[in-house]
Amino acid sequence: MYSLVDVHKRYGLRTVALRKVSLDIRPGEFFVLYGPAGAGKSTILNLLAGLTRPTSGDVRRNGASIAHLPPERRNAAMAFENYALYSHLSVAENLAFPLRAAGVKPAEVTARVKSIAGVLGIPHVLDRRPGFLSGGQRQRVALGRAIIRPADIYLLDEPIGHLDAKLRHRMRAELKALAVEMKATIVFTTTSSKEALALGDRVGILNAGRLEQVGTPADLYDRPANTFVASFVGDPPMSYLNVSTRAGDSGPVLVTGDGQVIGAAPLSALGRTGLKVGVRSTALTLVEPGRPETLAGRVEVLEHLGHSKIAVIAAGTDHIQVSLPADAALRPGEAVGLRIDPTRLHIFADETALTMDAA
Amino acid sequence: MQRKTSVIIEILRYGTIFLVLGFFVFPIFWMVLTSFKPEGAIMVSPPQFFFTPTLENYAHALFDKNFLFYIKNTLIISVISTAIVVAFGSLAAYSFARYNVGDGHILFFILSTKMMPAIAVILPYFLIFRDVGKTAIGKSLHLGLDQHGALIVSYVMFNLPFAIWLLVSFFLDIPRSLEHSARLDGLSRIQVLRKVTFPLAAPGIAVTAVFTLIFCWNEFLFAYILTRKMASTVTVGVESFFTLQGILWGPVAAAATISVAPMLIFVLVMQRYMVRGLTFGAVRG
Repeated sequence: MYSLVDVHKRYGLRTVALRKVSLDIRPGEFFVLYGPAGAGKSTILNLLAGLTRPTSGDVRRNGASIAHLPPERRNAAMAFENYALYSHLSVAENLAFPLRAAGVKPAEVTARVKSIAGVLGIPHVLDRRPGFLSGGQRQRVALGRAIIRPADIYLLDEPIGHLDAKLRHRMRAELKALAVEMKATIVFTTTSSKEALALGDRVGILNAGRLEQVGTPADLYDRPANTFVASFVGDPPMSYLNVSTRAGDSGPVLVTGDGQVIGAAPLSALGRTGLKVGVRSTALTLVEPGRPETLAGRVEVLEHLGHSKIAVIAAGTDHIQVSLPADAALRPGEAVGLRIDPTRLHIFADETALTMDAA
Repeated sequence: MQRKTSVIIEILRYGTIFLVLGFFVFPIFWMVLTSFKPEGAIMVSPPQFFFTPTLENYAHALFDKNFLFYIKNTLIISVISTAIVVAFGSLAAYSFARYNVGDGHILFFILSTKMMPAIAVILPYFLIFRDVGKTAIGKSLHLGLDQHGALIVSYVMFNLPFAIWLLVSFFLDIPRSLEHSARLDGLSRIQVLRKVTFPLAAPGIAVTAVFTLIFCWNEFLFAYILTRKMASTVTVGVESFFTLQGILWGPVAAAATISVAPMLIFVLVMQRYMVRGLTFGAVRG
């Protein structure tokens, strides 16, 4: 098991890459680090690889500190975002490099290079230099070079980020299958939420150097710790309503800007300002306008996605996205009613989730 | 119509190439031609293109003036200088490029040593080598006046700043992740330098070596001031043909032809690497 313990990482005096990050990566798990560019994903990989040292805190392997162990003694393999291919060597030699460095016999090197090239669909470019490959081919060579030799941990820095959509989809499936087959510990970074949810056994969400939440895709979907996490999972993303609280018959309730009660509020929400309610498209039903206990809205935009439609509905000053069947008869400008499942609300105060009081 | 234009363009193209080539190659052609002319055919007007070729100029330069001696000196001095410049230059440039040693200030200081024109520093150099040459260390390293060591040190001093600046940009062009990747594959820092970084920087190193060697080979001022006889280089050798009796144009041309040849061969051999050097950035992610 690899652990980061209260890791703080600063570059120079001003740039803070990681703030107090603690993280466990379990053996054999496919761990995805998700976050926007500059969130600190690569820094975590570099710390695990030994390419950089924490400013404070510790990096551990099975409990023992490895913060000062040089990269060549960590038995980690890494695929770099900018490929890091040796331009003076052919693709085959690039793939063979880690094996040769490890002293594998030439006959076995050739066999392994051939087999990995087959897996990655690049057997026809083995004799070429990286300079003569397309971006997608280079990325596959980079990935191949990382997974060609057995390692304790594989660190993949956006390894399929530069592929076109179709290839990316295929590589995603292949990577997942490969990971299961290899039973390897993999840390994978991505800026695509879909990729993170599709691949990760667990996902860590980074934002501006802070680890916002770690959990299985289901955890993140059902129990987002804050609005950043909540907006990251789900398609269409979660919509937010600005709300306030007031006392209701059986405890505090949430009230929208135009006075509509939409559900119960936890006690901790009482008196808080900046309250928001997050609703997922699946917790919403469209009904005729004017029905009781519904939110009045107006269809603003309709997006056709082929298999479904997304309607952006204006309710007061808030905008809510609802996913609809493709054949739903709706026109922009139409008045609608929105029924919200009161048991599936996410309540946030100052961007942080509040939990409902235990019944 | 189309066909006609393309023929005209072709004619213009080759015409231009021919003109430009003629402009640059003619002086060398004339030098080679002159080296084979008998004395009487050299300074005549109109210039002669057809004459009975002779080797007497080469005989004069090689045997009477012992020109091979100058070639030997020049080879020793320039090859050793270039080797030192390339070795120290690439190591220094690597550390500047990777570790930003001195935060740019040391790099600028190195450049600043080049700001002095050679003619301004030649007198101090002369005095320094005169005195250093008398010490025990100076004697053992041949650092005195008219000794190879003095010229080698001067040339290294003059070329190292330029070489470092040139090489820094080449090393900066090599993505760090290439070295990181090799480290992860189990190579130590030194092994990474040997197996990854230097092979990748080879074009840059080749370009630097060529520039340095050409500079050393063609340098005149230092060689003229710091040597008399024993360590004189080809440029000084050619100058010695400017005698009180007049300039021996035939032998001068022969000597010049002989001294151009090694450089020409060297550059042709290095051309492969240099062209790769010019398109170096193309292979990055």
